[in-house]
Amino acid sequence: MTDQAKLERRYRRLLAWYPRAFRRENEQEMLAVLMSCARDGQRRPGLAGSANLIRNGLRMRLFPSVPRSARSVRAAVRLMYAGAGVSAVNLIILLVFIGDAAIYHSLPGYHLSAAQVSDLNVNAQFIALAIVSDVVPIAVWLWMAQANGRGRNWARSLSTALFGLATLDLTGAFGTPGIRVVLVPMLFGATIPVLTWLVGLTTLWELWRPASTAFFKPHGLTQAGYDAQVSSRTGRSGSRFPRQF
Amino acid sequence: MTDRAMQEATFMILTALADRSQHGYGIIADVEEISGRRVRLRPGTLYTALDRLRADELIGVDREEIVDGRLRRYYSLTPAGAKRLAAEAARLQAHATIALARLNLAGGVTQ
Repeated sequence: MTDQAKLERRYRRLLAWYPRAFRRENEQEMLAVLMSCARDGQRRPGLAGSANLIRNGLRMRLFPSVPRSARSVRAAVRLMYAGAGVSAVNLIILLVFIGDAAIYHSLPGYHLSAAQVSDLNVNAQFIALAIVSDVVPIAVWLWMAQANGRGRNWARSLSTALFGLATLDLTGAFGTPGIRVVLVPMLFGATIPVLTWLVGLTTLWELWRPASTAFFKPHGLTQAGYDAQVSSRTGRSGSRFPRQF
Repeated sequence: MTDRAMQEATFMILTALADRSQHGYGIIADVEEISGRRVRLRPGTLYTALDRLRADELIGVDREEIVDGRLRRYYSLTPAGAKRLAAEAARLQAHATIALARLNLAGGVTQ
């Protein structure tokens, strides 16, 4: 294998950090530019160049480019990132206070003895579960932002269903609210949960506005039909959006 | 609502496309020249910016060619892109004019 072929193969591996739909449309062109920028005899991508490709690939995966014409969807995606931010604040508060034994004595619905509180504090499993239960919402916000930003109709429906579940959870419909739900409001009032809920509500409002509906691929539409619709709407190939699965 | 200030890389890319369509490597080379070799775009940065600019409908694909077995895609400014670039250039010019005028008032520019 020639040096050039080896370099191209390595660049191709680095391009795997980009979303599949983006690669389908741009990989050949990017490879051509990367190879043009390479020095004579270069066999490996440089460290800074590799880091740049990985960073931009991840950025594109996390922050999809929503067409300017779909303003309401752009707003919804930004709100979802804000939701992830609020959930992250919740997680930080949890991490700071979860080891504080005194707090558990006063939690409503948790009439714990000193021994039980002590058990909780040393119970790594419990702490891990509480942390995971706070990391999951962050991941879900980011996932929904990415999928909705790419025009996936199922993501819009799933976002709606998740908001419904979150509303029921917050109101205690599933029994005693989890320690995650109770601990932070005990310390800081209802600000963070209510703020998170409001972000979710506003996001749904943006997602279901008539202006947003045109952006989402309807169920049952073939990829070819969708591509034609996107192409006529944005003047660019619909293939940049991944196939619905 | 006013548009936010444009990032330098975005401004340079749009400037490179202001008078003609160009392919990816051509944009990188042109931006380097425009900036007096101060800005050298990496391909990863360029294509992230191009993707966003296409989504914002500020640039579009003009044509595609195969050269030496490799795809070459030419990009050009859309009317919206030309308008946005003109607005940004005017904004920068206005700021630069004020800065230079104040420096002159303060006793001239020293190098």
